[in-house]
This record gives sequence, C-alpha cells and structure tokens, in this order.
Amino acid sequence: MTRLQIIFTRLALFALVMGAWEALPRAGAVNPLLLPPLSGVVRMLGQLLGRAQVQEAIGVTAAEVIVAFIIAVPLGAAIGILAAENDYFGAIFRPMLFYVFSIPKSIFLPMFILVFGIGFGQKVAYAAFSTLFIVIMSAAAAVESVKADHVLVARSYGASPLQVLTRVYVPSMMPFLLEALRISMIFNFTGVMIAEMYASRTGIGHLIASWGENFQMPQLLAGVILLAAVAILFNETVRWLEGRCSTWRT
Amino acid sequence: MQYMADVKSPRPQSRAAAIEVTGLSHIYEGRDGQVPALQEVSLTVGAGRFVVIVGPSGCGKTSLLMMMAGLRHQSSGTILCAGKPITGPDPNRVGVVFQEASLFPWLTALDNIEFPLSIRHAPREERRRRADAMLNLVGLKGFGTRYPHELSGGMKQRVSIARGLVQDPPVLLMDEPFAALDEQTRMTMGHELLRIWDETAKTVVFVTHSLTEAVYLADEVLVMSARPGRIIDRIDIALARPRTYEMMATDVFGRLRERIWQQIRRRSD
Repeated sequence: MTRLQIIFTRLALFALVMGAWEALPRAGAVNPLLLPPLSGVVRMLGQLLGRAQVQEAIGVTAAEVIVAFIIAVPLGAAIGILAAENDYFGAIFRPMLFYVFSIPKSIFLPMFILVFGIGFGQKVAYAAFSTLFIVIMSAAAAVESVKADHVLVARSYGASPLQVLTRVYVPSMMPFLLEALRISMIFNFTGVMIAEMYASRTGIGHLIASWGENFQMPQLLAGVILLAAVAILFNETVRWLEGRCSTWRT
Repeated sequence: MQYMADVKSPRPQSRAAAIEVTGLSHIYEGRDGQVPALQEVSLTVGAGRFVVIVGPSGCGKTSLLMMMAGLRHQSSGTILCAGKPITGPDPNRVGVVFQEASLFPWLTALDNIEFPLSIRHAPREERRRRADAMLNLVGLKGFGTRYPHELSGGMKQRVSIARGLVQDPPVLLMDEPFAALDEQTRMTMGHELLRIWDETAKTVVFVTHSLTEAVYLADEVLVMSARPGRIIDRIDIALARPRTYEMMATDVFGRLRERIWQQIRRRSD
C-alpha cells in the first residue's frame, strides 16, 4: 500500500465511525440518551468552551499536567541514569523500583489527599508520582542502549567526559528519551485525570466525573473529544521531533 | 589496479622505533583471584612498518593494543610512542580502528570521519577538507552523506580507517578490523589497506586471528600465546611488495603460514 492509500483509508474509516455516530442515534438504532448524535456533541463542546467555569477548569488541568511533567521527567531521568550507571545504586534500588512500578498507583491516591489535601498540590504530586516510575525505567533503558564501543571510540580520540556525554550518550539515548517523553506524558495526563475524578473541586477530570455521575452524555462525550484533541496534539508533536532526531535508526 | 604501477620497490623504512613496549605485564582480578593477562611483553615496532599480532582468543592481543592506544592501563611496564610514554589516549600520535560497528549510527560517513577533529574543535572548513580527502583516500568518494546503516560492511570499515587517519597520526592501531567481513570482502579490504598504508606511510599495528591475513599484510608477525599472554615468536615476512593475491598460492607463503600455525598449536595442546 502506498502512503497515500494508507492516509485515504484512515480518513475513510474515521469518516465511517463519525458518520455512524451521527446516523445511528438519529435513525433510532441506538438510544440517543446513551449516545447523542455527533453534531449535538460538537455543538455542546462549542457551548462548553464558551463557559468561564470550563475555561478555568482547562487552565487548572493544563497547569497541573505541566508542573507534574516538569517535576517527574528530570527527577525520573536522574534516578534512572543513576540506577543504570552506578552499579551499587542500581543493585540496591532496581528491584524495588520495578516492584513499585508494577503496583497500580491509584491505590496510593488517598495518602496523597491526606498529605496534600484536595487541590493543586495533591494533583501535581500524584501525577508526578505515577509518572516517575515509567521515566526511571525508560531512562535506565536509554543509558543501557549506549554502546561501550562508541564510548571507547570517543575516548580514543581524546574526548573529555563532558564530550562523551554530549557527543555519545545524548545522541545514543535521544530516540529512547523522546519515546519516554511521549509515554510519560500519557501517564502524567492519566494521573491528573484520575486525581481530579477521584476528589476535586475543579479541572476537566472533575467536570467529566460530575457529568458522568449525572449521565449528561453530550457534556461527557464533548469532554472526551477535548481530551482526545489534546492527546493527539501532544503525541504528534513528539512524534515529529522523534522523526527529526532519529533519521539514522533502521 | 592502476596504483600498483606506481610502486616499484618497498619504500625505505627508517630504523627509528615508532613504538617500544618494555616489560609490559597486566594482571586483572578474576573470579578465581588474580589472572595474569599479559606477562613481560616487550616489542619494538619500527617506523613505517606493518606489524601483525596473531594469537588464540584470550591471549591478550586486544588488551595489548588497547594499552598502546592509552585506553587501558597496564599493571607494570612502559609503552613509548615516538620516544614518549603513552599515559592516555593521544589522537595526535595514535589513531585506532576498532572491530565492526564502531561508527556512530547517528552521523553520516563524513561526520563520522570528522568526529576526531570536532572533538578538538578544529575549524569547520579544515574539518570538511580533511574528511573529504580521507573519504577519497579510502575510495568512498560520493558516499559522504550516507549513514552507516546504508553502507556495506566493507564500506563501514573503510570509513573507520578514514576516521583513524583523519588526524594524521604516525601510528595506526587496528583491532581485528575485518573480522566480521566475509572472506572475499576481507581479502579486498586487506589489499586496500596495504595501498592506503603505502600512500600514507603510517606505522601499522594490526591484530587478527587469521593467519592468512597476517602473512599477507605483515612485514613482521608477532605470535602470542594465552594464559599468560606473551609473545612466543617473531617472524619476518620476506615477501616482496606490493603483495598480490597470487602470492598466497606460493610455497614461501605456505611455509610462513605453517610456521605461525605450528607455534600457536604447540602452545595450545
């Protein structure tokens, strides 16, 4: 299949699903209370975006996601690199990190509420916590992707430790780090959403949770579309960066 | 092969030593205590000579080469390069060509060749000019913008050789550079290496475990044995230069190869 065909098929499939979403409730094949037609949901999204309460919620959620990301990524990367580079640290902490990574993080949410209360700090702390482990794992894997031969080559040409870092480690790790960035944003976003849906006074997660509890399906689905749009935007940005940085990968 | 006509006789080789290794020993901490990896290794490589080190795996030939490159420290003994001791990597005195896949996959062939120059912040113009010259020397004109994964095994090692030579060091150390290549490519690369050696007048120390390759390339073959690693024989290869593929079928070639083989076999029984 050519690239054009793939794009065309994707678009056709998308149009088909959207068309079904519109047609099925209108034809009465699906209960419109359960699945309101697409046009109604889109109109609802427009209305919601105009409301001050929703705008504020978007702002709060975005701030939480960004702050949590800024905390979790450098911290996780530092711990991951340390675990991979320092044998002693790695031997002690790697099994522990791996086991904690395997536990669903939402179990710990009540503890975050006890410590931070219900608000900005709690959302950020919980999202950063739930993201940290995937960043650690990815960073450790990225360090291990650096080939000893390449380090030796650089050293043989007189590279300083700093040059080895910037000229060998960083380019070797870059594709892995960008992939890690993409995955950690998913974890981060999910973390904020869960925290907001669990206990919150504002934020998109809170709005979606309360719409869901009241079975306000047009609002709920409008929220889903909004989240999907944000997720796609972020994903594509990082993918574009990946494509630029890793032309050499086969 | 137009270049063969230019080379009528072996070029004069000076008596000065490019590398002098004296009493080199290395002991590393193994699972069962101290393991002597190298024991009292001494050797002299004359300037402009092509010296090949052969030996079974584990005889320490790669360790020896890495110590000459200043990439590994010996337990005792000295290594002099152009009369001055080697204490760490010195790309102005020694270039290194590694085993397969040592090129940086994120750099193009030309950028890989420029790497040593960019490490010491050479001006961009000089970098490009010298890298281009090296690319021509190794016969890869027009391939500069290719990434390593777009090159064949032989072409990759040509780029590695160019990278080793780009700073114009008097000595080139090569650690089994053609080991991963198929037999035919390996022969061609050996021949190409001799041409490059002849054009650049470098001193080459070449590690291999192929006896045919050793005899074909060398002025002088050093045979090592394992546990502990030491030099057990030194054989002058008195074959005329330029070397040709036909020489491999001659009795002299066979006898030289046999002598090395006997040395290695005798010690490993």
